[in-house]
Amino acid sequence: MKGPPIPTEASFTSPARHEALTARVGTWLGIAFGLCFLTGLISHWYYLYDAPLTPPTRPVIGYRITQGVHVLSGIAAIPLLLVKLWSVYPKLFAAVPLGKARDLVLHLLERASIAVLVAAGIFQLVIGLANYTQWYPWSFSFRPTHYAVAWIAIGALVVHIAVKLPIIRAAYAEKLSEPVVEETRETASYGGPSRRTILRTALLASGVAVLAAAGGTVPWLRKVSVFAVRTGEGPQGVPINKSAEAAGVTTTAREAGFRITFVNGDREQSLSRDQLTAMTQRTHDLPIACVEGWSAAATWTGVRLSALLDLVDAPHDATMRVTSLQQGGAFGVTEITSGFARDPLTLLALQLNGQDLSIDHGFPCRLIAPNRPGVFQTKWVTRIEVVT
Amino acid sequence: MRLRLLIGAVGVAMGLFGALRFVQLDFPDIVNATLWLAGGVIVHDGILAPLTLAVVVLATRALAPRLRTAVTAGLVVLATVTVTAIPVLGSWGAREDNPTLLDRNYVLGWVVFAALVLLATAGAALRAVPPAGDSAGHDDEQQTHGTEEDAS
Repeated sequence: MKGPPIPTEASFTSPARHEALTARVGTWLGIAFGLCFLTGLISHWYYLYDAPLTPPTRPVIGYRITQGVHVLSGIAAIPLLLVKLWSVYPKLFAAVPLGKARDLVLHLLERASIAVLVAAGIFQLVIGLANYTQWYPWSFSFRPTHYAVAWIAIGALVVHIAVKLPIIRAAYAEKLSEPVVEETRETASYGGPSRRTILRTALLASGVAVLAAAGGTVPWLRKVSVFAVRTGEGPQGVPINKSAEAAGVTTTAREAGFRITFVNGDREQSLSRDQLTAMTQRTHDLPIACVEGWSAAATWTGVRLSALLDLVDAPHDATMRVTSLQQGGAFGVTEITSGFARDPLTLLALQLNGQDLSIDHGFPCRLIAPNRPGVFQTKWVTRIEVVT
Repeated sequence: MRLRLLIGAVGVAMGLFGALRFVQLDFPDIVNATLWLAGGVIVHDGILAPLTLAVVVLATRALAPRLRTAVTAGLVVLATVTVTAIPVLGSWGAREDNPTLLDRNYVLGWVVFAALVLLATAGAALRAVPPAGDSAGHDDEQQTHGTEEDAS
């Protein structure tokens, strides 16, 4: 039995494939990748405990916006990447120049850089897309891997732009809808979409994909976002990421003897929820914005964290360690730097949207700070101590 | 040329920084992530792209030239947006203890989405003027001869 012949670059005859199209789709894809990379770096910054500079506490909705852009620019990139790869697919079958050693080496180097770019690009989009639905069908640790491969992808992209710069320039010098110069038999009967139509279709698909997903973070799009991971509904009008059951706190969080303890060296102060309620209550509108790209505006009421830290005379520049009742998980114990801990808007919240916190939202008390990823807005807080 | 070398050097440095981070991951993570890195390329180049070409060949045979633009655009939107919806359509991340996660009827949403694409495609196809002689559809047909091979 004879298999089908291996295609060569010339086997692909569609006149729609052309650098004029590839360069333009590539530009949009590059913008999406660039946005995704930069907002990803911002998100990564929040997770660094040893960063020389800590993220700012303003604007309050900063992380809500940057992480929303991160997830949505990644989604926008998917249709663009698929069309881009379609437009250059014949290159996969291009002849390898075996004549001159120099040509061969350059050719293989370029192929290697493209292989890295395609592999890293697809990888980032696929694992990001799965992660945003809290689906983890792999065994590697997501955050360090996504971060490392992001640099590989963006580095390979920059190399790719450097290699292709003359072609990109020539492609932009050419109009997308260059008139027919010479008709071959194939093109005369082509009748398919023009390059301009394909570019517009790719952008349309990209926009539709964004609209279909954006409702998880843009409330007025909820009705049209048929593929949004969250409707925005939940207990007390706010979705949750980790339930009390998943955190293993359904008993401990309800115990009558619950106390939250503030520690500064050998100074300790334990308070019951009633004692917290008896203190000066403040109400702030602060969004909850998660790394998965969903977010929600909410009204929180509770005690200013700074006032509680003063009970044990915690230094104003001290980083605090926050411990949750939560069992397991990487974020049961986190740190809050002084900028966030001492911000006047940062609360140890007791109420959400006018009602006592539900257990899934962190009853008896939780942290809520401006411009911070949701995973650091620790629920079921039981201990806050000065890091020495 | 110097600009290109500079940009290239910046790219190599960024990529090497990432590679350094990558090789510092735990060894089992490196192995698993490498499988996923290769898997993405294999699934695209080995399955998705040939499948797309097969659909193009079939559609070209089945469709009159004047319908091809509308149908292609419709299929591109339908297919690529559906790819972005795979994780919600499968809802593999759903958890019984968290009803606020993956809380839509995504299959129904997809049916509505597909119906809208179908409607738009049908509308565009109906508006497409049948070819009358040589001039028809030239807005949508550009071809620069011999361009496929000069981009290596």
